[in-house]
Amino acid sequence: MISLVRAAFSAFAVSMRLRVISPWAYLNWLLFPTIFTAIGLFVLSRPGATTTQLAYGVLGGGLIGYWGVAYLDGGNGIQDERWNGTLEQIFAVPTPLWVIVLGKACGSLLFGILSFLPTVAFAYFGFHALLPGVDAARLAISIGVLSFTFLTISITLTPLFALWRWAFSMLNGFELGVYVLCGFMFPVTVLAPWAQVISGSLSPTWATRAIYAATTNEGPHDFALWWLAAILISLAYLVGALFLYQMVERRARVSGELALA
Amino acid sequence: MQTAPAIEITGLRKKYVNKRGTFRRTKVENVALAGIDLAIRPGELFGLLGPNGAGKTTTTKILTTLLLPDSGQARVLGLDVVKQTSAVRSRIGFVFGGDRGLYWRLSGLNNLRYFAELYRIPPDVSKRRIGELLERLGLAGREHDKVEVYSRGMKQRLHLARGLLNDPEVLFLDEPTIGLDPVGARELRVLVRELADAGKTIFLTTHYMFEADSICDRIAVIKKGAIVAEGTPSSIKRVVENQGVVEFEVVGMPADRLAGLRGLAGVSSVTVVDQELAQVVTVHCTRPAEVMTQLGVILEGLTLRKVSSREPTLEDAYVQLIGEST
Repeated sequence: MISLVRAAFSAFAVSMRLRVISPWAYLNWLLFPTIFTAIGLFVLSRPGATTTQLAYGVLGGGLIGYWGVAYLDGGNGIQDERWNGTLEQIFAVPTPLWVIVLGKACGSLLFGILSFLPTVAFAYFGFHALLPGVDAARLAISIGVLSFTFLTISITLTPLFALWRWAFSMLNGFELGVYVLCGFMFPVTVLAPWAQVISGSLSPTWATRAIYAATTNEGPHDFALWWLAAILISLAYLVGALFLYQMVERRARVSGELALA
Repeated sequence: MQTAPAIEITGLRKKYVNKRGTFRRTKVENVALAGIDLAIRPGELFGLLGPNGAGKTTTTKILTTLLLPDSGQARVLGLDVVKQTSAVRSRIGFVFGGDRGLYWRLSGLNNLRYFAELYRIPPDVSKRRIGELLERLGLAGREHDKVEVYSRGMKQRLHLARGLLNDPEVLFLDEPTIGLDPVGARELRVLVRELADAGKTIFLTTHYMFEADSICDRIAVIKKGAIVAEGTPSSIKRVVENQGVVEFEVVGMPADRLAGLRGLAGVSSVTVVDQELAQVVTVHCTRPAEVMTQLGVILEGLTLRKVSSREPTLEDAYVQLIGEST
């Protein structure tokens, strides 16, 4: 068991080393979220805006950056392994693939959460915008729950990227869909009823709702319910992941698609 | 007392299914292994020879648990590679040829440390072993450099160090010297031989005949997924025991003259390799002196040069087994 923890930590450390020297990583956590924040605050912080709208402007870019790094870097990480020719190597070691993916996904989360630093600082110094009413403890727990939801989605989807080269291209659009469906930049209540059903099945929706509730005094504050919903949906994803990893292990060995050639 | 084989393959078959076409997709099956049998003794350095696409890499990938066979059985150290995957993985090492398979933007040391953790080697053991491997493979002093600045030979030695991290009982080397300069390739062959002498079982695939001839205890030749010969290098050479080889260069070799050459009594194969201005023709035959005298008649009017006769090599036996190429 200890050796598995060490293996996961080692995967985490390697993924961090590779990110620190990658210019793309800086675009994802620094530049793009700041641009989203600028656009969001320009639209949402006009005179007459509600405190909730202001909160969306301050945190929306950070949430988008966090999700982008957690999700896209996970997929890119696997593609990089394929291009490096290391995907077969990490597949054929005694450490199970999910342990390596877990370590890498934790690296993505740590890098992704950095997105809040430039965005919140930009909101404050660029637009003099502050979060209207922060409940620090609930905000911290909500961000923790959100991180858990991102982690489970990343762990669940990554094996698909390992097996099928086209999967990442196909699921690229999923990144944008989640911005909208999970209410990163605006409340999901503005979406069509059928879209809200899809939103409800995505675990980050509930954690995001809790985050915004913890930064404003407006609207309902059913934190326990939202956290529970986010965690239970995430656990359901993990159950699906169990089957997915078994399927990937078998399919990869049948088709030999781990190698580039 | 007979010891159990380190590697045992029985009736191994594998085919790949590919899709062809853009709109009307059709499935195409390629047979990679058509039912092979092999048994490799512990401590043996075994070479699997064959041309590209013969099934060498497929065999290696099945034995290293990266691929599943369609049918047949493969056991490594008595363990079933299909069912006892985890146990097999912890007791074997593998090195695939080529540049890739390493994290170029990390140092050699960090590459080794990472894989040591993935092989679940205790930290004190891995620290000692990495130091020993760096020293033995001539990478000590350069371990902190990024892999991207390593030469091809250094990268291949780092690959080998990675493959030896878990002190494997069986080491699989898939064309390990491909792309290496002659000095680097020779150094690697010496290392591989030393590992075999130290008691490791080594399964080596290559299409370099001299490599197999110089270091392997036993070899098998694979062609289109089937084993066509198996034995020691000297026993394989016996395929061409009563034969000689005539080689010559000719400028422009018409097909009818080639057919005439093939039709000579005692000629078993004729291979032609195109060079810039001429073709090098190799004739395997039982009566080289007769062929030499007939050459003048068959090739009349053509510019003929560098005619020679020699004893057959393992490469000649290989060509004989694999078949003619023109």
